[in-house]
Amino acid sequence: MSIRLLGRMGAVLAALAILTLQGCATSADKTRGMRQMMELNRHDLALMEAEKHLVSEAEGVMENMNVGLLRRLNKDYAGSNEAFNIAKEKISELYSTSISQQAGAAVTNDESISFQGYKFEQVLVHLYMAANYLSMGDIDSSRVELLQSQVKMDEWGEPKDETPFMRYFSGVMFEMLGEEDTATVSYRKAVDAYRNTKEKHGLDVPLMLQYDLLRMLARMKLWGEYKDYKRQFGLSKYKAPDTRGMGELIVLFGNGLAPQREQKVFQTYAPTLALNVKVAVPDYPNPPVVLNKSRLNIGGKYYPLEVVSNIDGLARAALSEEMPLITTRAIARAVVKKKTEDEAGKQGGFLGQLAMLAINQGTEIADTRCWNTLPQEFEMARVFLPEGEQDVNIEVVGPTGAVIDTIKQKVRIKAGAKSVISKRWTAPQAKTVPMQAVGGQQNSPATVLEVAAPKT
Amino acid sequence: MQSLKLGRVIPVVALSAFLAFTAGCNPTVSRVDSNAVTDLSGKWNDTDSRLVSREMIDDVLSRRWLSKFNRSKGKVPTVIVGTVRNLSHEHINTRTFIRDLEKELINSGEVEFVASASERDEVRSERRDQDLNASEATRKAMGNEAGADFMLKGTINTIVDAAGGSQARFYQIDLTLIDLESNRKVWVGQKKIKKTVEKSGWSL
Repeated sequence: MSIRLLGRMGAVLAALAILTLQGCATSADKTRGMRQMMELNRHDLALMEAEKHLVSEAEGVMENMNVGLLRRLNKDYAGSNEAFNIAKEKISELYSTSISQQAGAAVTNDESISFQGYKFEQVLVHLYMAANYLSMGDIDSSRVELLQSQVKMDEWGEPKDETPFMRYFSGVMFEMLGEEDTATVSYRKAVDAYRNTKEKHGLDVPLMLQYDLLRMLARMKLWGEYKDYKRQFGLSKYKAPDTRGMGELIVLFGNGLAPQREQKVFQTYAPTLALNVKVAVPDYPNPPVVLNKSRLNIGGKYYPLEVVSNIDGLARAALSEEMPLITTRAIARAVVKKKTEDEAGKQGGFLGQLAMLAINQGTEIADTRCWNTLPQEFEMARVFLPEGEQDVNIEVVGPTGAVIDTIKQKVRIKAGAKSVISKRWTAPQAKTVPMQAVGGQQNSPATVLEVAAPKT
Repeated sequence: MQSLKLGRVIPVVALSAFLAFTAGCNPTVSRVDSNAVTDLSGKWNDTDSRLVSREMIDDVLSRRWLSKFNRSKGKVPTVIVGTVRNLSHEHINTRTFIRDLEKELINSGEVEFVASASERDEVRSERRDQDLNASEATRKAMGNEAGADFMLKGTINTIVDAAGGSQARFYQIDLTLIDLESNRKVWVGQKKIKKTVEKSGWSL
């Protein structure tokens, strides 16, 4: 065997080895460490893992969404918005379909196409940015994010593309801003959005939203609409509460972790080749996690936390909607790859075909990218309380009914003002002494904000 | 022979294309006049801030309230710029807009100007320091501030109409001049700007 031929074989084997080792890691594989840290309630370590991905993808939408969310959980609200802003700008840039990326995806894999997030994920970026501005005391900037999310949803125009929780959250924020008319409009739109998208998330219009809309209609003295909605909601006995002299506590609770997409490989028949081909597509292999229930315990009185957004449902519905296109692309790609292998065999013999096969195998991975640091669901409670200091306990209740974790918070309630507690929960707070923590705190305690409507 | 030539040409062409591509990846920087109009994204920019502040200050200073004040008080009015609330769809840096308004007011020579609430804190802190540390002759006493006669405040609002990749953005800037003694609004001004932004459905 000549030295030249040996050299060529060596090069091919080296390429095979490199591609086998590097080419098979999906996005799910790369972010597994980050999710494991989140499952252990170690948001500081999860952030460190997430920030590693920014080294190679500084402007990556998914990478910045994850970093943004984790910085918020680590109380770095300005840094969180910095990351979310990068994601937002990139999403805007990616509005146009890239011809070169589509061409690349036809011969490699769907991860050649820049990730811009599903519509509900794009809208939730605005929710988190609004929450960050609220945490920083900049309610006007918070308002800007609400308006931007509305423009986005209005631009898409399809009822199925609405994110109902964003409409509801906007209504809550407009109430805080003292814009009761705009809040009423948002609550109405939220009711319609929950109804129009029920197939995706499985939720009825939250009872809390029904009460909020009726309360606002009563405040605005829109009695015709008030009666009509009472009838629609089946709340004939509802009476708008007398909240004079009381303040409001709003608790936002992110429970669990959004599902992770994994790669599924299967064989399917390609008619153009008249043989079976192997394709890789994304999939949610595990059913939704059964979450622990949560409730508020304020001075011995219990208040439920109601599910207002089923992120798990939205994520699965988004993938399900896209699956026919993903599968068609995967089959078409398998056909193209098979043809390149045959051509390489004709040009370069056995070694050429082997090298092409290695490249094709190494690049055939499913697109498992998603915003996988989101909670599995958002829960909310709104409680009117008398003025004064209140001991608020968020209790997480296990399947046997026993309380498995309690998040304690003292809140000073002021008449006419709204206090917001925002908390994310994935596991009971660790009792052991932590190793070096980033940001100085092991478990992020609840954030408490007080907001009085700004005077215009 | 021909295949040999091709074998040399192709790598050269590939290398040239690679060099051209990487050279194209470096950003190009050009210095422009600070007054040049540069509409890049369709969002509120320095040109909008400058033009709006100039036009609105020209308007406010051309109205009767100024001459009435001059006649009744025998002096030029003292004005302070209060809050300009951003109620729009964009994160607008209202501080630069307020600075543009202040610049136009001062440069007009028609009004006197006093420090805003945020600036006063630092000034008062300096006077307190002087009370302790500066000489009697050079110390600036507390309680001698010039009070403003009028406050200028306002809002920036937007209406956005969007469909497909097209957006029509309508900005409305409302300013009010308020007599600080009587709370009367002596002037109300409004400026409107409309922009259309088109995004391409395809890119390379």
